[in-house]
Amino acid sequence: MEQSKSDFILEVKDLKKYFPIKGGMLNRVVGQVKAVDGVTFNLKRGTTMGLVGESGCGKTTTGRTILRLTGEKTGGQVLFEGKEVYDLSSKEMRRMRTKMQIIFQDPFSSLSPRLPVGEIIGEAVREHGLVSKAEYEDYVDKVMDECGLQPFHKTRYPHEFSGGQRQRICIARALALNPDFVVCDEPVSALDVSIQAQIINLLRQLQEQRGLSYLFISHDLSVVEHISDSVGVMYLGNLVEYGDKKDIFARPLHPYTQALFSAIPVPDPTAAKNRIVLEGSIPSPANPPSGCKFHTRCRYCTARCKEEVPVQKEVEPGHYVVCHRF
Amino acid sequence: MSSDNQEKNEQQYSLNDDRRVRTLSPGALVIRRFLRNRVAVTGLVILVFMFIFSFIGGMITPYKEDQLFYRYEYQNKQYAGAKENTELRYVEASEGSFPKVAQAKFVIARKTKKPKFDVKKSTYFVEPEGEEFYAIYEQKKGAKELVAFATYDIVSSAHSDQEASFELQFETSRALAAGEKSFTLDGKEYTVDEGGIVSLDGEPAAYASRYLVQPIMKDVELSQGFREQLLQAIGEDADEFVYADENGEESTYTLTYDAGTSSYKIMQAVATKKFDTYSAPSRAHWLGTDRNGMDMLTRLMYGGRVSLYIGFIVVIIETLLGVALGGLSGFAGGWVDQVIMRTVDVFYCIPSLPIIIILGAAMDAMRVDPQIRMLYLMLILGFLGWPGVARLVRGQILSLREQEFMTAAEATGIRASRRIFRHLIPNVIPQLIVTMTMSLGSTILTEATLSFLGLGVKFPFASWGNIINDVNDTFVLTNYWFIWIPAGVCLLLTVLAFNLVGDGLRDAFDPKMKR
Repeated sequence: MEQSKSDFILEVKDLKKYFPIKGGMLNRVVGQVKAVDGVTFNLKRGTTMGLVGESGCGKTTTGRTILRLTGEKTGGQVLFEGKEVYDLSSKEMRRMRTKMQIIFQDPFSSLSPRLPVGEIIGEAVREHGLVSKAEYEDYVDKVMDECGLQPFHKTRYPHEFSGGQRQRICIARALALNPDFVVCDEPVSALDVSIQAQIINLLRQLQEQRGLSYLFISHDLSVVEHISDSVGVMYLGNLVEYGDKKDIFARPLHPYTQALFSAIPVPDPTAAKNRIVLEGSIPSPANPPSGCKFHTRCRYCTARCKEEVPVQKEVEPGHYVVCHRF
Repeated sequence: MSSDNQEKNEQQYSLNDDRRVRTLSPGALVIRRFLRNRVAVTGLVILVFMFIFSFIGGMITPYKEDQLFYRYEYQNKQYAGAKENTELRYVEASEGSFPKVAQAKFVIARKTKKPKFDVKKSTYFVEPEGEEFYAIYEQKKGAKELVAFATYDIVSSAHSDQEASFELQFETSRALAAGEKSFTLDGKEYTVDEGGIVSLDGEPAAYASRYLVQPIMKDVELSQGFREQLLQAIGEDADEFVYADENGEESTYTLTYDAGTSSYKIMQAVATKKFDTYSAPSRAHWLGTDRNGMDMLTRLMYGGRVSLYIGFIVVIIETLLGVALGGLSGFAGGWVDQVIMRTVDVFYCIPSLPIIIILGAAMDAMRVDPQIRMLYLMLILGFLGWPGVARLVRGQILSLREQEFMTAAEATGIRASRRIFRHLIPNVIPQLIVTMTMSLGSTILTEATLSFLGLGVKFPFASWGNIINDVNDTFVLTNYWFIWIPAGVCLLLTVLAFNLVGDGLRDAFDPKMKR
């Protein structure tokens, strides 16, 4: 009953994560960086949600906060399989970690340089006792094979691999634990385009085989368009628009989304360019503007925008926007 | 056929496991890179040599660390005097048989060559035998009785426990004066040789000599053998002679003739046992001996042992404290970090040299046993040295903690202890090894400095520092190179080698270095 209640593997409600700014003589908290300031979305089982936004808008922090990797959250809820992640004891949390995994942006720094690849992939498997000792080697081989790695890579060290291979190792490490949900934190942005395609295809293929759910964080809209089922757009810690990929890409509603999507290069030199150029730069998350955070750069800014914080509205079925215009 | 060929080709070009390049662990790569660094390997070779020299050398060397060596030094001591007898001596047949007055009369009679003279009521007859012998008789109731004789020679018995009898003296002197080779006394045949030795049946019975030999020191009794040797030496006009006394102890005696008194001074060369200090390199002591008379090479070996021991133990203490506190500081953060880092700051403010000097003086005052003192020295140096390591480890851990692979380890649900020991520590170790190696060199140097100042390792223990401490004046510096040059060279080479190896390790650990 509980299981069938939701087809959402992950429900995030008004998630907030503030980082303290310390200063002054006594090292007191003098302010807060509101990295994630009220993010609400649901992720359907077996689907991919793309999370886009410009640098510093809180995409990565959102992903990590969901996985409880940034210490305590500031507010809101993260329900994984209907359970609050932050309520788990550390023991339960360790067990839960096998179900939710993360693939990092930088495959160079995310692999411990002093461990052989087999150990990197298999360490957690052994730690959690996911397979018996007899099956262990075969299991690691199998996972590596699925991720496009050869068995002889097991004894090698990360420094002996190319970026693409390292990212495969990262994927293998995440998938070896047989998770249901994986946060892909810009997994391809450090790779060149041909390798990007390989990795994305690998991720899709694994999703089909294992029924994985992804939270795919990227600033590359074309990649997001390619892989996602739904898309969320973030601006300064807020999820400003969120809905089905088709709806979002066809009809971006939020002015920021429109501006963002207008920047996608069109592979047609004759096409009319309708570029919306945002004025100014992204405000500091430590001191965000009042009202709608986007009002300083918005084309449609009104007096109301400056004072009143907009709430999330379901403009179309499954298409949510945070804007006073709707 | 063609498919067969193709298969062969495939086999040839396929990368089977055995055809692949052998993979190396990061550790093996480090070793490889290190061995490729010629300078660092030189340092390593020097270190290996120093270890063998200090630890195995100390076992092989035949001497002990604090074994003292002696040498004999000869000093001339006045021993005896020999005076040539230039005056006639009177030998009385019995006590008082030839009184002084008669002696005076005899001198006149001798000069006037009278055969007889009177003294009071007595009449004396003189029977000369040449110029040098006069037998003197007294007229007593019709018979002439031999009362004395005068001669230049002195006759003494060969047997030290008895004196030569008057008759023997008389006969010997007479025989010598007359140039006779033998005489008969009491029915026994005595022979006299040129040296004045009177023998009876081949055994010496008495000696006759023109010289009067007397000991200079009252408690010394001159043996007959000595006299014999001395007279022989005088006769041969030799400058010195060797004589072994009754106990078989051989000494060299030197003769000096004083023409003014026409006497000989006999100096005995007395051997004094002295510490063999500052002896030059020889076969027994390859690097000579130090100011205490200890073998320099052996001291150098033991000194190396002490220096290396202290270096290692201090660095181990430093590292244990530094890693524990720095690690705790970096990992725990918050107020723990604050407390530890402020302690580190305080430690950095402590002027270590004055502290060590004061503690050294305090230990001197309390007469701390040298061995325990060495232990205290290690503890003090270790306690003063950990802050550097703590800072390094804290910094490393702070930066590593934020690395993505640590987050990844956390995300995969690996235990905290395992994260620390499998992921964190192995990444701190390279820097730690480099610092430890460098720190070894500087610790040895500090120890040497302290020992040189007399505050570190104390006698009887050797350390390179306190060996150099022997050089406390320019005389030693300029004349006894073998005291300070070897220790200085050892010190220099060891510290240099540690630094070279440390540099080599740092380069080897640096992943940016090409393989």
